[in-house]
Amino acid sequence: MFPAASRKPPSTSMNSASHERSPMCVQGDSGLVLTTDPKPRLRWTAELHDRFVDAVNQLGGPDKATPKTIMRVMGVKGLTLYHLKSHLQKFRLGKQPHREFNDPSLKEAMDLHRNTASSSRIMGRSMNESLHGTEALRMQMEVHRRLHEQLEVQKHLQIRIEAQGKYMQSILEKAYQTLAADQGLGYNKDQVGGDQVGFVQDTMGFHDLQLFGGGDLHLDNLHQVHLNQPLDHGLYLTPNDHPSSALIGKKIMATSHDPYITNPNEKSPFNWDDEDDDDDNLHVGKQEELHQNIGNIAPGLIDAAAANGRRMVVDVYEAKPMISNAGGSEGSTKMDRPSPLRDHPLSMEGINAMLIGGSFAQ
Amino acid sequence: MEVAMDEGNDFSRCNFSTAAAMDDYFACAWNNWEQSVADVGPFSASADADDFHDLVESIVFADDVDYDPSTGHFSLPQSPSYNSNTSTCTPVAEEEEHNATATAGNDAKGLRLVHLLEAAAEALGGVHKCPDLARVILVRLRELLGRGGEGTSIERLAGHFTDALQGLLDGGRTSLRDGGQHNHNNKMEVLTAFQLLQDMSPYTKFGHFTANQAILEATAVDRRIHVVDFEIAEGVQWASLMQALASRPGTSSPHLRITAMIRSGGSRSAQETGRLLAAYAASLGQPFSFSQCRLEANSERFRAAGVKVVKGEALVMNCVLHPTTTAARRRTTGSVASFLSGSVDLGARVVTLVEEEVGEGEEAEEEQGRGFVGRFMAELGRYSAVWDSLEAEFPMQGQARAVVERVILGPRIAGAIGHAFRAEEEEGGQVESWGEWMTAMGFGKVSISCFNHCQAKLLLGLFKGGYKVEETATNKLVLGWKTRRLLSASVWKPPSPVLLPVIDSFEDSDFLFD
Repeated sequence: MFPAASRKPPSTSMNSASHERSPMCVQGDSGLVLTTDPKPRLRWTAELHDRFVDAVNQLGGPDKATPKTIMRVMGVKGLTLYHLKSHLQKFRLGKQPHREFNDPSLKEAMDLHRNTASSSRIMGRSMNESLHGTEALRMQMEVHRRLHEQLEVQKHLQIRIEAQGKYMQSILEKAYQTLAADQGLGYNKDQVGGDQVGFVQDTMGFHDLQLFGGGDLHLDNLHQVHLNQPLDHGLYLTPNDHPSSALIGKKIMATSHDPYITNPNEKSPFNWDDEDDDDDNLHVGKQEELHQNIGNIAPGLIDAAAANGRRMVVDVYEAKPMISNAGGSEGSTKMDRPSPLRDHPLSMEGINAMLIGGSFAQ
Repeated sequence: MEVAMDEGNDFSRCNFSTAAAMDDYFACAWNNWEQSVADVGPFSASADADDFHDLVESIVFADDVDYDPSTGHFSLPQSPSYNSNTSTCTPVAEEEEHNATATAGNDAKGLRLVHLLEAAAEALGGVHKCPDLARVILVRLRELLGRGGEGTSIERLAGHFTDALQGLLDGGRTSLRDGGQHNHNNKMEVLTAFQLLQDMSPYTKFGHFTANQAILEATAVDRRIHVVDFEIAEGVQWASLMQALASRPGTSSPHLRITAMIRSGGSRSAQETGRLLAAYAASLGQPFSFSQCRLEANSERFRAAGVKVVKGEALVMNCVLHPTTTAARRRTTGSVASFLSGSVDLGARVVTLVEEEVGEGEEAEEEQGRGFVGRFMAELGRYSAVWDSLEAEFPMQGQARAVVERVILGPRIAGAIGHAFRAEEEEGGQVESWGEWMTAMGFGKVSISCFNHCQAKLLLGLFKGGYKVEETATNKLVLGWKTRRLLSASVWKPPSPVLLPVIDSFEDSDFLFD
């Protein structure tokens, strides 16, 4: 009855193909490959599928085409409505993999596409099909395109923000170095010059992201990028010198009246306690001004370090009154009192704290 | 203590005639101002700063606040919902405030501060100038404000404006902190504050990124790009441009050359910036070179001949007038004009402009009519919006904000007030909107691309909310906070030289004094 069976290569374009697993395939007159199963299942070969796709496209896409019309267009004998119905359904659902999306991050776009596809399908059916179907398609495409573009922009924006952050790092680094060189005081260079600078380098850009990470982001991807940042990197200063920022954080929490980091374990060049005035203390000069200066920057930023959640600082305690200009501003036209040279370490410490705070808050 | 006021109560005007004795003035003033305190129910203490902006807006822009130039009076706002908090009228009125609810007290204080500031500006630069009166008012203001750096954000804002006015009184010129001053202490602090500002707000990035994107688009296929920068400052803008160039898909990245305009005394810092930029470019593998071009010594005018041009390069001119850079000086009108018109001589591809946005519509004209006082109030409104934006985004980081305010915004306020003051005194035009100037000069508009607009929106999306970007013209994006427009970035194409009107006749209306 049937001519010799010839195996056609299995259709690879249908990944959802869970068709016949019958042992024998026969080729009918019409070129269709039918199986000898009790249920006449059709094997969708590549060729056949291509014709199917052509027909569907002719008819305006999988949502517009109906089994009947496809059958008519394809003009393949032996193809029943039943075959086409199921194949069309599978085609509609499995259409995504046929598109070439190189960017895996477009998963969201595809989800969106899928959603709009189904909703527009419903729309298409309930309304005048010929017109709205096309429009619905176009809408889908438009949405997809826009989303894609937005993701592109977002990518670039992220990179640019980072670039700017890195550059700012280098500026500050340079300024630190200039300061350290100028002062030539007996700093422990390791703690002040190199490592802190190194720390700056590691985490400055990160600090930027921390702030952004707390904001309301419209696109999840941006959020995820932040999450993927290595949280631990940079949290630790160079191993031999500074305690972990976690430790610092705890200390800050504990010592509510002493906002400045005092780590007895190490010889910190910056010792804020009025009592301790050791030789190692590089804190020469007026206590007041130093405190004032650090008060301007550090406590708030150190407080920031003690944040729990993503946003910087939940509760800030104003440990010291902010006195930006000693003696108030009575008749003073200066916006800022230039601090003596020795105040530099404070600024650096402040920034250090800020960085700790920045990286801690996540 | 509340005294119910009858409807239609007529708040008597307070005459600011110069002949008035100081005591009378105070009695009169306080009397009226106490009565005019509004019961501001919807405002809550926690939303202080935010509503201060609204408060300022309502005062500045309300129909009620009228300054009558002919008589020198200004009348106080009248509102049917007024509820007087106190009826005693002594200069020690603030004790009264403490009896009232904290809410009303805060806003009363805010209101009073604004009134005092306006009065001081009036006395200093209004129609009837009376420096002594101004002095007295400033003394009073300082009493109210306590020590600088403390207090609520409203008080800090008022403090800076007070200082600015004081500076006008004292020196006759603004007390700008010279950006070129290589005081290392200041420099560290300034850089830190600048970093903070960049992190806490989109102001800097908005201008830079928009301009850079426009430059990228204009030079998409060029192999050599030459940027002439009006204000190089720390060169922060160019980092992201370099990154974008270095990561351009395709063959090697185009060569970038930056020419920085330098003023007298600015050469060293520009060199430093050049080195930093070169180092950064090297880290990216981006071909880069840096050069300087001097502006004329006194007038700071730009001469196109001073720029070395290489054949085959795409030249763009970048003019960022927004003063959040560490070089916070205001440039003279003549200097800016010469730079912008120099783009014609150089045959620039595009000119990118970032400037502070002027107020809109009728209010702007009204302000103009009021001269210095109007401009003063406009700046007050502008900076109150900036204050609000910082506070709303980072309510807990009061200390950090205070640093930014003190180090960057404060000097800027002083500069703006001084600028307005000098313009008032010296005749001659001040260009408030360079965009308009360029339109008048025949510059063409280069559309802001979809990408650019989208980028700006995404940038703002990183912040909590309240910022918005509008495309007010095809070539212009405006960044604003709530209802207040603050900063604009626009892209222009210079007209061909033939059609250009004679620029040289433009007058130098104001010089920097040093």
